[in-house]
Amino acid sequence: MTIQQKPIIEIRNLVARYGDRTVLHDITADFYPSEIRVILGTSGCGKTTLLKNTIGLVKPYSGTVTIFGQEMGDLDSEGTAQVLKKIGILFQNGALLGSMTSGENVALPLKMHTDLPDEVIHEIVQLKLAQVDLPHAANLYPDELSGGMRKRVAMARALALDPPLLFCDEPSAGLDPVTSNGLDELLLKLRETLGITIVVITHELLSIEKIADKIIFLDKGRLLYDGLLSEARAVTGGPVYDFFNRTPQNVTTEADNSRPLFHVENA
Amino acid sequence: MTDSNQPPESATVTLPERLTREWVEKSPLPTAKPAGTLRLDFADTRVIDSAGIALVHLLNNRYNRTGQKLVLCNIADDLLLTLKKWAVAPVEKPVSSRGNIFVRLGDIMIRVYNESVVALSILIETIYWGTFGLFRRQDFRRGVLGDQMYQLGFRAIGIVGLLSFILGIILSIQSVIQLRQFGADVFLVAMITWGMVRELGPLITAIILAGRSGSATTAEIATMVVQEEVDALKTMGLNHIQFIVVPKFWAVSLTMPVLAILSMVAGIFGGLIISLFYVNLTLDLFWSEMVKNIYVKDFIISVIKSVIFSWLIIWIGAYFGFKVRGGAEEVGKETTSSVVFGIFVIIIADALFSFIYDIKF
Repeated sequence: MTIQQKPIIEIRNLVARYGDRTVLHDITADFYPSEIRVILGTSGCGKTTLLKNTIGLVKPYSGTVTIFGQEMGDLDSEGTAQVLKKIGILFQNGALLGSMTSGENVALPLKMHTDLPDEVIHEIVQLKLAQVDLPHAANLYPDELSGGMRKRVAMARALALDPPLLFCDEPSAGLDPVTSNGLDELLLKLRETLGITIVVITHELLSIEKIADKIIFLDKGRLLYDGLLSEARAVTGGPVYDFFNRTPQNVTTEADNSRPLFHVENA
Repeated sequence: MTDSNQPPESATVTLPERLTREWVEKSPLPTAKPAGTLRLDFADTRVIDSAGIALVHLLNNRYNRTGQKLVLCNIADDLLLTLKKWAVAPVEKPVSSRGNIFVRLGDIMIRVYNESVVALSILIETIYWGTFGLFRRQDFRRGVLGDQMYQLGFRAIGIVGLLSFILGIILSIQSVIQLRQFGADVFLVAMITWGMVRELGPLITAIILAGRSGSATTAEIATMVVQEEVDALKTMGLNHIQFIVVPKFWAVSLTMPVLAILSMVAGIFGGLIISLFYVNLTLDLFWSEMVKNIYVKDFIISVIKSVIFSWLIIWIGAYFGFKVRGGAEEVGKETTSSVVFGIFVIIIADALFSFIYDIKF
């Protein structure tokens, strides 16, 4: 895989805030074609916020995001929609439309954005569902599917228009190891066969080890590491080391300085 | 240990073997005001739980803050280590603006302004994407208008018809009791016709639809927001207003006038039943009086009024739906707010329309 190409996503000095609280501090990163980039960090570090700011679901407080050479902040709603049509997104909970069957969910982007005849759309839906190993789920509603199946149908929907860029928000969350591994295999297969760029948000170590080419490590809204996974594993000390070595960080191991010291008198 | 809520200066409290929640619950220490030096004697203490740890930290903070002293006596190393390990940083309480009326008023005004902008943008987007915007894009599924007309309109026929009929009966009986005293029974027909056509037909339909279709709209949209379905639509490059709201907007706009006319007919029919069997008017007399009292202008204004009501119902339903943040509890809250606010706005709008009937044109 070559990574010395023009970035497919360029994030520059991105700051995200919720009210007065700054959630992301001055994030700058590039994402290259055909790579699997994992955004990781502990819970609440701003991974999903980074995703939402990148794809324009939330407007950044400051900074810019450029996708496919188009700066998202400069685009009107129509322009944003045009860019988003080239991106597949797998949401954390699948976000399938509950009023439609799995097949209708997968067909939705095809019906909305293409002029393909219904017969062809039907074939594509079958193909996409087969790709995610759910060839017989077309007529089932989301509430008839398990968590893992819902995610896989959502993946099929995200891939319906063969996007060159796929975002996955915690694809393994809440799944058993076998299903989770299946999703990881699927991501690898998609990259190999279709050459798509995949951005995965996760904190599952096994998944990271399996799929990541490069990682971005966030800690308390700050980008601490951006580079190859193998090099990240060699980091000694700090939150990146703690993360990969599962060192607990939130448990206080020494007396907190803001607390007054104890006066002790032992006989 | 001392029983008083005010430990004397240099008091010593001997702690039990198990410094646990059961002991802390009964102890006066958590509420005791610091006074002098307090010695906590851990000589017998072997076990400590979260309540015990919290108590010691609470007292230590309190004594230090007031310049007094808490001493831990005869404490085993492992207990001391545990206490030190769980010395988590105190969380600052958020600064409250309560008490400062100007700050609170300012907050309320800013919130009202922001919410008004959001609400207006939903209305404008709905009208735009439901009319001119349809020439730019059509982000809704085939057949969805029919589905929505069935769900939001057709399925309300029974309840609208039945309630309007009963209302017509009640109105007629109450009216005729008064009219009879003046020998003016025949004016019952005029009263019920005017009442149903000008006022109650559109109003009762709007109130029923605010409770039924408005709440359904809010609940559906709010659930979609909570389950990230709206985000999913946006990221598929679809216009979420056109996909979700516009079909409902047109469905209710088209069915509401029909339901309002049905309501008028059912209410007048209720009046007919009372006129025929309770007041003993003839059918011919009822018919001629009814026709005499139905004005085309009133009828047209009522139909227009019902269309405006339908827009209000969908606008308010959509606004509260998109406003939801959080989980299932919020969905319920916003749905309730949507119905209450919807009925309130409809009644205000109806009051404004009352003046329009008197305009000569």
